[in-house]
Amino acid sequence: MDETVKKYTTRREFFKQYKKKSRLQETWNRFLRNKLAVIGLFIIVFIMLAAVAAPLIANYDTDAIRINVPDRLQSPSAKHIFGTDEVGRDIMARIVHGARISLVVGCAAIAVALFIGGALGAIAGYSGGKIDDVIMRCMDVFLCLPDVLLALAIVAAFGTNLVNLTVAIGLAFTPKFSRVVRSAVMTVRGVEYVEAARTIGATNTQIITNHVLINCFGPIMVQVTLYVASAILTIAALSFIGLGIQAPIPEWGNMLASGRVYMRDHAYIVMAPGLAIFLTILSLNLLGDGLRDALDPRLK
Amino acid sequence: MSNVLLEVKDLKKYYKVPKGMLHAVDGVSFNLEKGETLGIVGESGCGKTTIGRAILRLVEPSSGSVIFDGVDILKLNKREMRHMRRNMQMIFQDPFSSLNPRKTITQTIEEPIILANMIPDPDKRFMRVMELMDTVGLAERLVNTYPHELDGGRRQRIGIARALAMNPKFIICDEPVSALDVSIQAQILNLMKKIQREMGLTYIFITHNLAVVSHFSDDIVVMYLGRLIEKAPSETLFANPLHPYTQALLSAIPVPRIHNRPERLLLRGEITSPINPEPICRFANRCNYAMPICSKEEPGLIEAEPNHFVACHLVGRGNGCSFS
Amino acid sequence: MEIKKINEQENTLEIKNLVIHYISDEEVVKAVNGVNIIIKAGKTLGLVGETGAGKTTTALSILNLVPEPQGKILSGEVLLEGRSVLSMSEHELEVMRGDKVAMIFQDPMTSLNPVHTVGHQIAESIEIHRKVSKHQALKQAKEMLELVGIPSERSNEYPYQFSGGMKQRVDIAIALACSPDLLIADEPTTALDVTIQAQVLKLINELRQKYHMSMLMITHDLGIVAEVCDEVSIAYAGRIIEHGTLEDIFDHMRHPYTKGLFGALPDIGVRRSELMPIKGLMPDPTNLPSGCPFHPRCDYVMEVCSQSLPENKWLSETHCVECHLYKDTNESML
Repeated sequence: MDETVKKYTTRREFFKQYKKKSRLQETWNRFLRNKLAVIGLFIIVFIMLAAVAAPLIANYDTDAIRINVPDRLQSPSAKHIFGTDEVGRDIMARIVHGARISLVVGCAAIAVALFIGGALGAIAGYSGGKIDDVIMRCMDVFLCLPDVLLALAIVAAFGTNLVNLTVAIGLAFTPKFSRVVRSAVMTVRGVEYVEAARTIGATNTQIITNHVLINCFGPIMVQVTLYVASAILTIAALSFIGLGIQAPIPEWGNMLASGRVYMRDHAYIVMAPGLAIFLTILSLNLLGDGLRDALDPRLK
Repeated sequence: MSNVLLEVKDLKKYYKVPKGMLHAVDGVSFNLEKGETLGIVGESGCGKTTIGRAILRLVEPSSGSVIFDGVDILKLNKREMRHMRRNMQMIFQDPFSSLNPRKTITQTIEEPIILANMIPDPDKRFMRVMELMDTVGLAERLVNTYPHELDGGRRQRIGIARALAMNPKFIICDEPVSALDVSIQAQILNLMKKIQREMGLTYIFITHNLAVVSHFSDDIVVMYLGRLIEKAPSETLFANPLHPYTQALLSAIPVPRIHNRPERLLLRGEITSPINPEPICRFANRCNYAMPICSKEEPGLIEAEPNHFVACHLVGRGNGCSFS
Repeated sequence: MEIKKINEQENTLEIKNLVIHYISDEEVVKAVNGVNIIIKAGKTLGLVGETGAGKTTTALSILNLVPEPQGKILSGEVLLEGRSVLSMSEHELEVMRGDKVAMIFQDPMTSLNPVHTVGHQIAESIEIHRKVSKHQALKQAKEMLELVGIPSERSNEYPYQFSGGMKQRVDIAIALACSPDLLIADEPTTALDVTIQAQVLKLINELRQKYHMSMLMITHDLGIVAEVCDEVSIAYAGRIIEHGTLEDIFDHMRHPYTKGLFGALPDIGVRRSELMPIKGLMPDPTNLPSGCPFHPRCDYVMEVCSQSLPENKWLSETHCVECHLYKDTNESML
C-alpha cells in the first residue's frame, strides 16, 4: 500500500492508470445492434439537418411564402422537386421550413411538460401519502381529456401564436410526464441503495439528485422521444383544423388542410407533407424503442 | 464507567393497515456492550429487519427509547441525527440493490466521507478510500469499476467499506451473507470478524440462519411475531434452549452430517397474524407443549438462569423445568 | 464416463456427456460442460453446487425446456427410462411432462398462476394426462391437497390466500398429481423459513417413499442432502467433479472442492473459531479457467491442473472423482 502512495499522489494520476469503463459506450454498442433503431436514428437526424439547413436549401420569403399563381399546381420536376402548391409555392421549400417549426415547437412543448410534470411527479413519487394523492388527482383530471382537445381549448381561449401553442401542448402533456416520472421515482425510492444513502447521512434533496434522478434518466428519455412524436402530431392536427400554425407560415398540418381539395388530381400536394409527418413520427418511435431496449439489457 | 454502548428499551413499531394495527416490533428491550456481537434471529414476520431499521431511525419507532452511548437518539432532531449517524452504520442484505449502479466503487465509498465533510482535500480523501478498499480486500485496480461488473462477494465488500468509511462505533448487519454462495459466505464472515477485532466495533447481526449466527455472536436474541421470546449467550442457547420455538428452530436446521443426527421437532400449523394480536402467547397455536394458560395470558420475560431470559409459561414461577 | 454393470431397465434417468452453452452476440456462457448423471429407480440423487455450476440448466434439459434461441444443446444424451428426451417430438414431450417427469421450482410465489384456484391448477395436469372429466379431475385434486396436508375445502381458494410454505405444498401436489416416475426439485425450500422447510422436507420424504419415486434434488445445502438423498453428485463449472453415496461423500470426500464446501459450513454441532473458506471467486462461465476449472482456487494445485482436464476415476463401485490427485490411485490404496 505504501508503494502505491508514493507512485500516485493524486487521484487524477490514479484514475488515468485505471480508466472508467464507459457505460455510455456500452449502451451505444447495444443500441447499434438494433437495426431498426439505427434506421430511425438516421431518418430523424436527416430531418433535423434538413430543418437546420432550411435557409440554405430554399429561401424563406421567395420560395416558401411568396405567392406565385402562374406556377401553381405543377407536378414534381427538376425545378420543383415536390411540385408546387395551389398558389405556386415550392412544396419542398415549405416542407423543410415546416420541419423547423414542427421540431422546435414539438421539443419546446415537451421541455415544458418535462419541467413542470417532472417536478410534480418527482415530488409526488418521493413524498408519497397525501401529497402524492393531491398531485395525482389533479393530474388525473387533465388526463381524462384527449391531448388535442386540451391544447385546443387553451389555444382557442388565448389565441394562436407560437408561444401559446407551445405552452398549450406542453400543458397537455404535463400530466403524462408526471405519471412517468412518478413511477420511475417510486421504483427507485424503495431500493436499498437509497436507504443506504440515508444511513450515511444524506438529506432528502441530496438523495433525490444524487441517487434517484440519475437512475430514472433512462426510462424518462425513452418517454421524451415518444412524446415529442405525439406533440408533433398534435401540432399537425391543430394546424389542420386551423387552430395551430396559421397560413402563410408553412406547417405540414396546414399544408395538408389547404391541399386537401386538390388531392384527387394533384396527389403530390398532400403526399409530401403526409410523408414528412409519417417519417418523423416513425423514426422517433423507432428511436424511442431502440433506446428502451439499449438502456435495459434485461429486455433482450 | 458503563460499558454499555446501546440500550434498547421497550421498542415498538406499529403500522396502520386497513384491518387494524400491524405489530411489527412489539416491546423489545436489550443491552449491548462495547465490542460485543448480538445476534437477532427469527423467521419471516418476526420483526428482526424492522428492529434493525428502527434502531437506526431509518423507520421511526412508534414508542420506546434507543439510548446510544448515553444519548436517547429518538429525541434528536434531523440535523443532530444526521451527525449521530456517523457512529452507527448498516450493512445491507442484497449486494445487488444496496449499491447505486451508476456510481463507481470510489464514488460509493467516498460519498459518506464527503457528506460528513471529514476530509475536504480530494487527494487525501482518495487515499482514505484506498485504505478502506485494502481493509476489505478489494484490489486497487477496481477503483473505477461499476457494481454490475463485479460478483456478489466483492459487492458486499464495497458495502462493508462504505459502512466503515465514517469510522463508526456500531454496525448493524442485516443478513449480510444470505445472498452469497456458501464458499464466499465464509470469506465475508471471516473478514467481518477481523475488522471487528482490529477496529473495536460492536455488531448487531440479524439473520434467519442459526448456523451462521452461532459462529458469530456472543449473545443471541430470538424473536417471534415482534416479541423477544428468548435471550441468552450463544453457547447457553444452543446447549439449553428453553422456549419451545427456539428448540424447534434449532432442530429444524438441516445438519450436514450423516451420523449423530439430532431428532427433529416439528411445529404444527402456521404463524398467526401480526395484525391486532391478542394479549396471549403468540406461539400457543403451534406449540407442542401448550397449556390452558398460554391461550389466556401473555408470558413475561423472566431470567430463568443467570443471563438467560425466556418468555414462556412453561418456565417460571417456580416450575423450573428445562425442556432440552 | 464408464457405466459399470447396471441394468438399463433400472435407471430412471441417465444423462451422458451433456454439453449446453448459451450463445448470444456478446458472449458464450458455458453452462454445462459434460455432465454425467444416473438416477436409479426409486432413489434420490442430490445435485449439489453453487452459482454457475449448471444445475438448473441440466434440470431443464431433462424436460427439454432449455430456453430456445440462446440455449444450445451441443452434444450428449438424456435418457428417461431408456428413451431419449432430446429426440422426442413436441407431442411426445407434452405427454411426458407432468406424467413421467414433474418439476418443483424454487420460488413458490411466482410458479403459481394467480388467476386460477389451486384446485384448478392441480386438476389441469390430471385432466391432460388421465383423460378424465373435469369433475373427476377436481375430485382427485382435492385428494392431492389432503395428501400434502392442506384441507380439501381450500381447493377453491386462490394462491394469494396461501403462505409461502403452503404454496410450495400446492406446487408439490401439482407435481405429484399424475404420479410421475421422476420428480425434479430445484431448490424447493430455499425461499422458505427454516421451520417450514423442515415440514416440507418431511412431506417430500414421506411421499417419495410412498410412491417409490425417483427424485433429483437440486440444492446448495449439504444439510438437506443428508436428510433426503441416497446419492450425491457435486457440480462445479458445469461438470460433475465428484459422485458417490452419502457415506462416500460425507465420510470419505476426496475432491478439494468438496472438502472446501464442508469446511466453509458453520455446523452448529462443531463450533470453530474461524471458518475455512475456499479462496478466490466463483468461475465465470463465459471465461472458464484452462484445464481443471477449480485449479485457481485449489490448495493442492499441481502443474498439470492448469493444462488438462482431469479424467473421471472410479475409486470404488459407487464413488468417482475428477481430479488429478487421484489419477494413479486404485481401489486398494484407499
